[in-house]
Order: sequence, then C-alpha cells, then structure tokens
Amino acid sequence: MKKILTIVLAVLLLDSCSKMLEEHPRAIASETFYKTPDEVVDAVNSAYASLLEGGYTTYFTNLAACADNVYAKGSLAIIDEYQGFSTSNITNMGGVWKQLYLAIRNANLVISNLAKNTNLPDDQKRQFIGEVKFVRAFCYFNLVRLWAGVPLRTEDNMDEIDLKRSSKDEVYDLIVSDLKFAEENLPDAPRMLGTASKWVAKTVLADVYLTQENWAKSMEEAGDVIASGKFSLVKVSTPEDFEKIYGADVLTSSEEIFYFKYNSQHSWSLMSFFHHDGDGYYPHGPNYFAFYTTSDNYFYEHWDNNDLRKQHDFYKWDIGLGDNTFLFRKYVDQDGSTPPSNDWPIYRYAEVLLIYAEAADRAEKGPTPEAVECLNKVHRRAYGYDPDAPSPVDFNMVNYNEESFFNLVFREKGYETILECKRWLDLLRTHQAASMIKKTLNIDVDTAMYLFPIPITETDFNKAIDPVKDQNPGY
Amino acid sequence: MGRKKSTIWGLAAIFLLFSFVQVNACSLQDSVSVNLQAKHITIANVFKTLQQQTGFIVFYNNDILNDQQRVDVNFMHAGVRQVINYIISGQGLTYTIKDRFILLQRKSAETGQLKTDLAAVKVADIPVDTLITGVVKSESGVLLAGVSVGLKGSSLGTITDEDGTYSLRVQDMQGSLMLSYVGYDGKEVSIKGRQRIDVVLKPSVSSLNQLVVVGYGTQKKSDLTGSLSSIDGKALSAFPTTNVARALEGRSAGVYVQQNSGAPGSGIQVRIRGTNSIQGSNEPLWIIDGFPADPNILNPSDIESMEILKDASATAIYGSRGANGVIIVTTKRGKAGKTLFEFNGSYSVQRVRKKLDMMNATQYAGLYNAFWESTHGVDYFSQDQIQSLGKGVDWQDLIFRNAPTQNYSFNVSGGNAKSQFSAGASYFDQQGIVKNSDYRRIGMRISANHDISDKFSVSYNVILARVDNNPTADNLDLLFSALTAPPTVGPYLNDGEYRNLNTVYPFSPDNTINPAAYIKEKSNKQFANNEMANLSLIYTPIEGLSLKVSGNISNTDQRSDSYTSTKYPNSSGSASVSAVNSIHLNSDNIITYTKRINKNDISATAALTYENFTTKALNASGSGFITDVTETDNLGSANTFATPGTSYSNWTLLSYLGRINYAYADKYLVTVSFRADGSSRYSKGNKWGYFPSGALAWKFTKEDFMKGVNWITDGKIRVGYGLTGSTAIDPYYTLNMLQSGKVPFNNDLYTYFAPGTRLPGNLKWESTTQTDIGLDLGFFDNRIRIMADYYIKNTSDLLNPVQLPQSIGYDYTVRNVGKIQNRGFDFELDAKLLDRNLKVDVGANLSLNRNKVLKLYGNQDIQGTVYNLIVINDYANLLQEGKPISAFYGYKFNGLDDQGHYVYKDMNNDGVISEADKTWIGNPNPKFIYGFTADMQWKSFKLNFFIQGTQGNDILCFSLINQNYRYYQGFNTTADVFYDHWSKDNPSAKYPAIDNILSTKMADNFVYNGSYLRLKNVQLAYDLPTAEMGLKWIGACEAYISAQNLLTLTKYPWWDPEVNSKGGDNSINQGIDYYSYPSAKGFTIGIKLSF
Repeated sequence: MKKILTIVLAVLLLDSCSKMLEEHPRAIASETFYKTPDEVVDAVNSAYASLLEGGYTTYFTNLAACADNVYAKGSLAIIDEYQGFSTSNITNMGGVWKQLYLAIRNANLVISNLAKNTNLPDDQKRQFIGEVKFVRAFCYFNLVRLWAGVPLRTEDNMDEIDLKRSSKDEVYDLIVSDLKFAEENLPDAPRMLGTASKWVAKTVLADVYLTQENWAKSMEEAGDVIASGKFSLVKVSTPEDFEKIYGADVLTSSEEIFYFKYNSQHSWSLMSFFHHDGDGYYPHGPNYFAFYTTSDNYFYEHWDNNDLRKQHDFYKWDIGLGDNTFLFRKYVDQDGSTPPSNDWPIYRYAEVLLIYAEAADRAEKGPTPEAVECLNKVHRRAYGYDPDAPSPVDFNMVNYNEESFFNLVFREKGYETILECKRWLDLLRTHQAASMIKKTLNIDVDTAMYLFPIPITETDFNKAIDPVKDQNPGY
Repeated sequence: MGRKKSTIWGLAAIFLLFSFVQVNACSLQDSVSVNLQAKHITIANVFKTLQQQTGFIVFYNNDILNDQQRVDVNFMHAGVRQVINYIISGQGLTYTIKDRFILLQRKSAETGQLKTDLAAVKVADIPVDTLITGVVKSESGVLLAGVSVGLKGSSLGTITDEDGTYSLRVQDMQGSLMLSYVGYDGKEVSIKGRQRIDVVLKPSVSSLNQLVVVGYGTQKKSDLTGSLSSIDGKALSAFPTTNVARALEGRSAGVYVQQNSGAPGSGIQVRIRGTNSIQGSNEPLWIIDGFPADPNILNPSDIESMEILKDASATAIYGSRGANGVIIVTTKRGKAGKTLFEFNGSYSVQRVRKKLDMMNATQYAGLYNAFWESTHGVDYFSQDQIQSLGKGVDWQDLIFRNAPTQNYSFNVSGGNAKSQFSAGASYFDQQGIVKNSDYRRIGMRISANHDISDKFSVSYNVILARVDNNPTADNLDLLFSALTAPPTVGPYLNDGEYRNLNTVYPFSPDNTINPAAYIKEKSNKQFANNEMANLSLIYTPIEGLSLKVSGNISNTDQRSDSYTSTKYPNSSGSASVSAVNSIHLNSDNIITYTKRINKNDISATAALTYENFTTKALNASGSGFITDVTETDNLGSANTFATPGTSYSNWTLLSYLGRINYAYADKYLVTVSFRADGSSRYSKGNKWGYFPSGALAWKFTKEDFMKGVNWITDGKIRVGYGLTGSTAIDPYYTLNMLQSGKVPFNNDLYTYFAPGTRLPGNLKWESTTQTDIGLDLGFFDNRIRIMADYYIKNTSDLLNPVQLPQSIGYDYTVRNVGKIQNRGFDFELDAKLLDRNLKVDVGANLSLNRNKVLKLYGNQDIQGTVYNLIVINDYANLLQEGKPISAFYGYKFNGLDDQGHYVYKDMNNDGVISEADKTWIGNPNPKFIYGFTADMQWKSFKLNFFIQGTQGNDILCFSLINQNYRYYQGFNTTADVFYDHWSKDNPSAKYPAIDNILSTKMADNFVYNGSYLRLKNVQLAYDLPTAEMGLKWIGACEAYISAQNLLTLTKYPWWDPEVNSKGGDNSINQGIDYYSYPSAKGFTIGIKLSF
C-alpha cells in the first residue's frame, strides 16, 4: 500500500514538475512587444539611447583633439603629434562604433517589427519608421566619415553575423534614402526636443550633400530649413550672452535644430573634460582639463580679439604648460550642486546658415546675395549686432570670388563651431587637414589618421572582413 | 530467588571491562532502539543484547542483581530506559546514565563504585584497602564523566562522576589502572603507591571509525570510496577571521582559497581542484547542516566539523550543484550528559604588514625637477625650496592605523538520552587597518534534537547572524591616492579646508582624491540580517529504515547605504541606498535503509528535493542636500533623484537522487549514485540533467597476504568516476527579454525598451566528468596517515561566451561549446611524531593542479577585461586553446632604447610592434599550494604553528605600473624610481627616462613571481592549573598568545602576494594586483574556558 502511495505521489510530482520548472520573469518578451503606439514609442526612444550615453563622448574627445584649433592632454595628447592614433584612442573609438551600431540595431528592430504590425495605421507607422530611419542615417553618416565603407546593417540582414564592408557610395545611398524617407514622413515639430523632425532630417541631409559635394542639393535642403522661418539666431550683446545658447539652464533656444538633450538626472559627461578644479566653471567635477589652446596657435592668433565669441570661448589658465595656455569656456556649469545639464549641440541654425553659404558659393561658382546674407547673420551676431540688420562688420559680396568666399565661410564656421566637434570633419571634407596642420604645427600628418581602423572587435568576429586586406589604409 | 554465587558474574565483569575497549568503536550517533523478543533469557544476555544494539553498557555488582535470573522479554523499538526499567522493576534498584554507561545501584547506594564479590571475599583476607582518587580530563581540559577506571588484572572498576572524579579501593598499590572512554585512547597508569592519580586522556589516534558527513547522510570514514577532507572546527577558529572560507586557507589539499583584498569582510575566491567554468560560478557549494547556505552566516566557533567533497563520486549526489566541489559544514551538536559551558575570547591588534617605500618630499622634488628639466628645460623647485621640504608627509601613515579585533563566543550544550541541545552566541568586531573600514558580526545559534518516541525524532536548527560591514576604505581610489599624493603637502589647507591634490603643482594629476576627505566624508555601510532555520522529522518504522522529512528557510535582508557629505570636495551631498531580499526554500525528503546480511553491508539512500530561490532588489539615490545630518535617511530631501530601480529573479531546482553503498567483508566497497536535476533556467527540452557516479574501494590491509605486514595498519585504494554539472547561467538567460532604460528628451527622462547586449539562445547543462584514483594509508598503528589522490576533470558543453561582431548590435551570445581540463594531485599527511612528555603532531597538505583550455567556440580566444590604466590600455588575461586558463598575454620587454624608453620584442620580426607581437608572459595559476601545521605540547605548554603558501604563480602588478610610470602627472612613486631611472649615466636603469613620453605596454616586465611562504599563525598556549588555583568549577582554562602573518617569504614587490584584485566566482581576470587593500600582521591574546 505504502509502495503504491509512493509511486502515485512520484508520478503526480513528475507531472506537476514541468510546470514548476517554467520561468515567469517579470519582464517584457521581445516577441510580444512593438504592438501598441506606446510600446513603439518606447522602442523608437531606444534608438537614440546609446548615442546619449557617456561612452559616446569619445566621438567628441578624439575628433576635437584632431582639430587644428584645439590641443589635448593625457592619452589624447598623442593625437596632436599627428603621427597616428594610440591604441587607447583606437580602442575608445571602437566603443563609439559599438554605440552607433547599437542604435542602428534598435532602429532596425523597430523597422522590421513595424512591418509585421497590423494594429497601427500606416501613416503612424511611417512616422515612427521615419524617426528611426533618421537615427540610422545619422549613425551611418558618422560611421562613413570616420571609417569609410562599413558593414551596412538594415532590417533585411540584421541577423547575419558575417557581413562585409559596403562601399562608401552604398552607405551614402542608404543615408540619403533614409533621410529622404524621414523628411517626407516626419512632422514639422519634433515629437520631443531631442528627437527628429522634418527640419532636423533636412539639416542632416544638407550636411550629407555638402560632404558629398552635391552643392545644389545641399543648398536646396539648407535653403528649405532657412525658408521655413522656424529658426533664428539668438541675439547677443556681451560675451556672457552666449550662455543663452550653451548654458546649463537653457532648455531650448530659437537656434536649436538637433541637440542631445541632457538634464541633471541624465547629465552630460563631456563636461568633465573642459575645466580645471581651480577655475570654478565646473565645481561639480571631476575636471580633467583635457582641451586647451595657446596664444601662439595659428587659429587663435589670427582671430579678431573684438569677436565676442573669442572673448567668450577662452580663458587663460596655466595647467603646467605655460602662462599662454587657454582653456575653453564654451560649456560651463557653475552650480556645483547638481550634475551638468548642458545640452550637446549637434546641429545649430548658425551651422545651417553656413552650410547654405558654402553650398551656394560652390553651386553658383561664387557668392550669391543670399549666401552672403547667411554668412553676415552669423558674423553680425558674433560682434553683438542684430543678426537680421545690416551692420558695420558686414562682408560685401563684391570683394569675394568663389574661393575667397569659401575661405571666409570656412573660417567663420571654425570660429562659430569651435569645440563643437565640426572642425576636423570639415578639414577632411574640404581636403585641408594636411595643409592646416602643417601651417599650425609644421607637422606632416600621417594620412592614416584620416580614418580610424575598423575595430579589432569587429574584424576578429566578422568573418566577412579580412583583418588585413579589408582594413583601412595605414593600419 | 536463589542466589548462585559463582564465578560466572565475575567473568561477566571482566567481560564488561573488555567491552569498554570494544565500545570505543561505538559511535554516539547510533540508533538507540532495542528490539528483542525472547523467553526465558538471562538478564546478563538482555544486557549483552542491549549493548550490541545500542552501545549502552550496564554496570552492576552481582551482589545487587542476579544476572543469571531468567526473564521473558518483548521489546520492539524500545528505548534504553524502557528496557532497564523493565529489568530492574521490583528489585529496589535505581540507575544513572552517563554517556553510554548505565550504572545500576541500590536505591540507597552512595557511590558508583563497583566491587566484585571476589574482591569482597578478599576484603576479609586483606583488611587494608587504599582509596585512590583522581580526576580525568581531556587534553583540552574538559572533565570527562563516565570514564571507566579499572584495576589491571582484576575485575575491580568504577566510572568517573560528573566532575570527572573517581575513587577506587584497591589493595595492590603497585598495580596499574586501566582507563577507557569512548572516542579516546585507552591508558594504563601505574599506581606506584600514589593515592591521588589525575589522568589526561587523548582523543583516539585512529579517527577512521569517526563518522563523516557526506551528501544526504553520514558514513564511516573508513568506508569512504570518494575523496573527502575533514577539518576540525578547532583548526578553523585558531585565529580570528571574518569568514569561514578564509579560515580554510591552507587547511586542505585541493582547496585554493584566495582573498581579493585584505579588507575586513572582503570577497574570497575558493577553487576546489581548479576552475571549471567560464560563464558559471566556480565557487563550491556550501551546505550548512544539510542545506545550501552562505558561509558568511557562521562564526568559526559555531563549527563542529567541516567536510570537503572533492571528487565526483562524492559530489555527484549534488548533481548540477556539485561540479565545483561541496563543502559540508556541521554546526555544534549537544551531547547527553553534564551541561557544558565554553567561552572563548580574544583580542588582536593588526597593522599593515608592509609599508611601501615611497619617495619623501626631497626625493619627490628631485624627481620632478628632473621631469621639468626634460620637458621645460628648467628646474621647478629651487634648491632652497628642496632644502626646506625635508621628509615631508608619509600619506600611508595618514590612512593606516593599528586596528583592534575582538572575538568572543559562548557555547552551552548538554541534554539527556532523549533530548540534546547546543546553543551559541558570538561577537566578532574587526577594525580594518585602513581607517574607516570595519566588520562586525553577531551570531546566535541553537540546535535541538528530541526523541518523541522510539520511532519518531525531531531536530531543529536555527542560525541568526547580523553582519555590519563598512568597506568604505576598500577602495582603489583611496589607496591609489594615498600613494600618489605629493609628500610635500598635507591633506589640509591653512583654513582647514581639504586640499585639492589635483592643483598643487602644474604637473599634478587630474584624478587623485584627498584621502583624508575620503576617509572622513564618505561612507559605505552595509548590513545583512541572515536567518537560516530548518526542521526535520525522522521516522524509523523498523530497524535500519529511516525516513527524514525536512524543510529549510534561509532568508537574507541586505542593505547598503552610501553617503558622500557636503564637505567632500565638489560635493553637494549624495546618498544612495540599495536593499536586497532573498529567500531560499528547501524541502528534502530522504529515505535511508541499512542492512547487514552476513558479510554484506548495504546502505541505500533515495531522496526527492526541491529548491526555490527568489531575490528582489531595490535601489534609490539622490544628490544635493542642505544638511549632512540626515545622511541616507531622508532621500526625499535631495535636490535631484536618479531613476529608482527594482528587480526580481526566481529559480527552481527539482531533484531526484539515489545512492547505494555496498561493502563486502569490510574489504571491498562500492558506491553508486545517481541524480536527476530539473532546472527552471534552461530552455524547454533541456531542463533535465542526469548525473551518475560510481566508485570502488579495496581495503587491501584486510587481506590475508597483508597479515604479516604490521607496519601498515590501514590501506585502501579508491577509484571513482562521476558526472557533475553546473547551472552556469542566470535565470531567464535563454529568454529574449527586453530591458528598460531612460533617455533624456525635452528636459525630462523617457523610458525606452530594447534587447540587451547578449543575444539569447538555446542552452543546455554544462557538465564535468571526474576520475579520481586515491590511496589512503596508515602506518604504525595509524600514527602516520597519508591520503593521496590523482584526478582528471573534464568539463564539456562548456557555456562559452561567443563574441559577436559589434556591428550586429549584440556584444556576445552564449553557446554550449568548449572544454576545460583540470588534472592534479592532492596529498595530505598527518603524523604523531612524538608522544612522550613532549608531544609533536604535524600535518601537511600539498596540491598541484594543472588546467588547460581544450576547446573554445570556433577556436576563438576569450580576452579578459580591457583595463584602462592610461599608461596601458589593454587586457591582461586570455583564454586560448591548449593554454592554462587566464594566463597573461602581452609583450616581451626588450630593454631601454638610447632615449631611455622601453622597447619591446618584435616577435614576428615585421619591424613594427603590434598586437601580433604579443605572447604568453605569465601564469597566475600556482604550480602547487601547500599548508603545514605543527602542534607541540610539553607539560602545560602548547606551541602551534601554521605555515601556508603558493609556489610558481605570477602576479601582474597593475598598481606598480600605475604608480611608477606616470611621473609626468605628478604621481609620487616608490623611492627606487628616484634612484634608478634612465639617464645618460645610467643607461641600463630599471625605470625609463623621466619625461612625458609613455613607452609602457602590457608586458612581462610587470609580471612578478607571486610565490610566498607565510607563517600564517603561531600560537603559544598555557593550561592554567585551575584546580590548584582553587577554581574547581572551571574545567579547563587555556590562555594563549598568537601572531598572524608574522613572517612572509616572498619576492613580490608590492604590498602583499596574497592578492587577486579582480577575482570573483567566474572571473577570468586572475592574478591581478590593482591597489587591493593590503594584508595585515596581527598579534592576539586570548582565553578559552570550559566549565
């Protein structure tokens, strides 16, 4: 009897044990997600997330250090010798590669899952897809400029482990088609500040065309943004007024097109790189004072002292390298009680104006009145004048041809966007990197530095990329 | 009742005396029920049966009981008392039970003295008897009750009373006394006319009959077929340690214990016979009183014994939890008899074992002048300035202190034949040698057993522990900054504010913190309330069969509070709190059956067990406080809050297991076991794993051909094979789950959901097969015992993280591909070298383990973590097929170039130094590890020492790389940099030129020999003669002084070779020293009392 009871018990237990061993996590399964608009919004948000993480600061630190108008310290100092990147520069930049591709993965997941979604109306789906296609294009635009042709991961091949490098043109084709899709399907106003709108897509597209030297189309896209009337330059009258653009407390400005938005809970980790503990510009710390320039830097030396931007952007501070050293005041947060909430300007209206000016000059083989006006708006503001009214510092069109006007615009963009991570890519784009470094430091740049190597973490595990044959030149 | 005076009962008494010796073999754990049905049986035979079945021996004098009287009996599972009461009923007798002795007396009897009739007859012939009295104690001074004391060659005898005293009347004052007691060696003492004879008994040399705890049961040590080490609780509490695992270091062959840092309560890494898993834990399974538990709950003084199961035939019964070995801890149990009180107290003072020889202020200024000279062409410090600097500040003195440790424990135990209990309380308080670090534990424990009836018994165990840990100072930044800070300035400015060490000089670093501020203004306090309670009901329906149903709850509530005050530089106050609750439920249902048929001994065990583990966590933090008063206790008053987090995790393990032990003629032993484990963590269809094992042992000394070989007392050969597993993955690992996070838009945070960075996949169990060949030998009456084992462990279906190209958006996935092998040799030796006035016992153990990675996914190497030391940004450890696990991989140092910069070997001769020039540069796995103990006793003095060490392991000293090669950033360095850096005059210097060019790589010149030999503990103890001091109520009192880490022989240049900064249960980053909290040297005084 006992035996029978034992057997019965054992059988019962065996039967119930398959249930006992089921897992019930308190989490969302991928298979059941991407159904409702709220869920899709949360998935779309994920496409931006990795770009706003701390590790993406490497994008800034390495590219800022490459520029002729900024010197760098510590492990970045080697960049200013222009003889190649150090292992740690390269490793850190591999982290940026990873973050860009993580954003691309999350964008691809939204695109492929929305294709299967039958709940949402088509126009809503297209808007969401437009937003993630914008993010995907933004990521590939950075990838193609830093690494040239890269593996092109889309919703169609996102599960293939081994994927070869596409050509630069193929990458640009995807960027342009994604941005065009975004431009057509995104609304005028962004879903939230920090997400893409139609105008954000157009701005990036203008920059993409500029990089491709497709001047007419660049001029057209930038012109659309200007003509929309949705943006204007912030007026300044003193150097301190630039705080209205870059300040920690600024929520947004009329100049903001696409910024990475930060707040004290999710703060801007780049702030730690600019200041010194002793100067009081970033009492929250830590402070690495990684970037500086010197009074004998070519760019600095030739910059008009009356330019309010020059007065605002620099302060003298000896970090052990002599008393002609300047640190940068562009980004400060003097309230030490909370982490820095300054936003990271990715595209400002001032840049759109200068893109237009450059593209129009090239497209029309010389400055046009509109191009000169665009340049003058930026220039006037820098001297404290109303950007929209003629001023004593205006440039006159008749004095310039295509080349000299380009140089003027290029110099202005250098002043306007110093320490905004634009300069090095602009130098590369306009083939001036070698000459400018030679002029500034009398160094012949190792041209391998024009691109970063495909990260070893990619070539080691992606069998479709030969670590030697398919590597960028010089690595 | 006709009384028949004959010699028969006299013989019976002699027989009884002999049986004392036999009874040595009887264990206290034996069943206490009697089964006897007989008619017309003599009382003497009833008592004989009683002794056979229970081990209880009945003492009586034939003048009070005629044992040839015949009775009818019918006992079924009767208790001892039941039997005795039945026999003596109506005879005017009473009885007392002491341990396993039952003394029958007349109700008016005064003493327990046993007198034979024969002696009584002689009384008439020789009128003068002399009364001999004395006290019997154990070596540790415990008064022994129930020791049988007899006159040699006669049937005179008595047993000691509760105070350990005996008295015996004898005529022959030149004879000798024979003493015997369960578990102790018998002893013969010549009377030599003395009337007072105190005797000390020693525990049996032969512990072969001792019962050891194996998985789900107990076994006689001599019957083991697997590889198992036993450690006595006393050895573990030899000196104060925060952790039981720590106390295990060097005590047992095959067990490699490493501390990650020297901080009180810091992590301990335990490896039994090597590393088996990459993905899963490599820590052994800890079983406390039958159930899985965290060893931190215990004070070493709670422990009766510890068994370490090493080979698969011993661990396979734990199936999927057994691959890393099993450590079974038995806490103290009560014994029937006099209530015993024990008190241990000790007080220690510790200080850092070694300070580093850093530059003083003058040297610092000299070095940075050299630096300024090479980078700026001028001196930075003027000669006048240098003159005024002197020695300056030694920042190590500002963080280190002499730190006291207090350790007290109190135990009380006792009981009667039916119920026994043991209760203990302990308090341990260790202040760390770095300021603002400490560890405190309060423990309470009780265990109780009760026989409800002859068939049912119940036992209950509870352990409570409160642990308060303050690891604030166990921090890389603090230790690094204390070494880095310039010796030219102190921690405070003139106005009392903390000095910012990053701005002292233009060349000052950008990442040091002020150690004084850190110690005073930061705190990280943790506590854990641990409770473990279990209840078992044992049912013994018939002889040999027992059913045990037991349940256990282990609950842990942990909380961690971190606060940085507003006075900390650049701080507006920040607080964070996290709380974790975990609950572990177990149900064990075990059936055991033992049977002896002729020469066949069979024991079978089967069990059904269920485990469920749930953990929930919560964390919250905020910053910006207007006052430091509230610390972490008013988070709501913060200016800004971080996103709070909660988490939940649960797993279930359902197991069926069985084991059969079979022995033939106590000569041939067989063990077979099987376990089936179902885990919730694996994918459907892969949830169940099956773990069989088998082992054979042959006691060859029992064979006839060994009869003549007297010097080998015991010999056994063991061979075992078995399969164990590892769950290796966390719950929900095979499921495709989304993770949430926050991303800022507008000026707020918005939620996002996305997959993690690991691509989930279908996974099955990781399994380890182990073959063990062992030899146990005992020589010269087991005065020398050797245990040696050779093993091969192969882990296959190794869960192996497989790197994915980062462009796919996932970092890695996990696959069941991979093999690791561990082979090795364990050797243990115990010897009683001298046993006269001077006694010397020694013990030694030695373990060799070789491991090798046999197969990885697609031959893909697995790199350790990339460490960014600024001067080096690289990984150090690598797993590669055919190589030892976690070996160091890097560049080969090739001297200094003509500018004083490091050059490295171009291994592939391609003209450039690149990744391709990396090679194997070191191995963190020791060639062997060892431990050695010696116990010496002379009169009341005892000297004991314990040596432990490792040989042939390498340490990669990140601390040294970071400290001595960043002079361009104003770091203080060790003084040898000042004296031995490159210059034109010193081209073959140890350190490169003092300039701002970094030429360091992850290379073999930073790999150091980590071998050491350490005098871990040396202790001198003195037994106070309490009786002579008039403190009769004290049974024993031992006072001792001891020293910990008094002597260390090593070539390792940094703080301490006992270091593994990045260790952990599945870390492949082994053998790295990265500013780990240094080890301490300590002095202890203590006292042990029992009464």
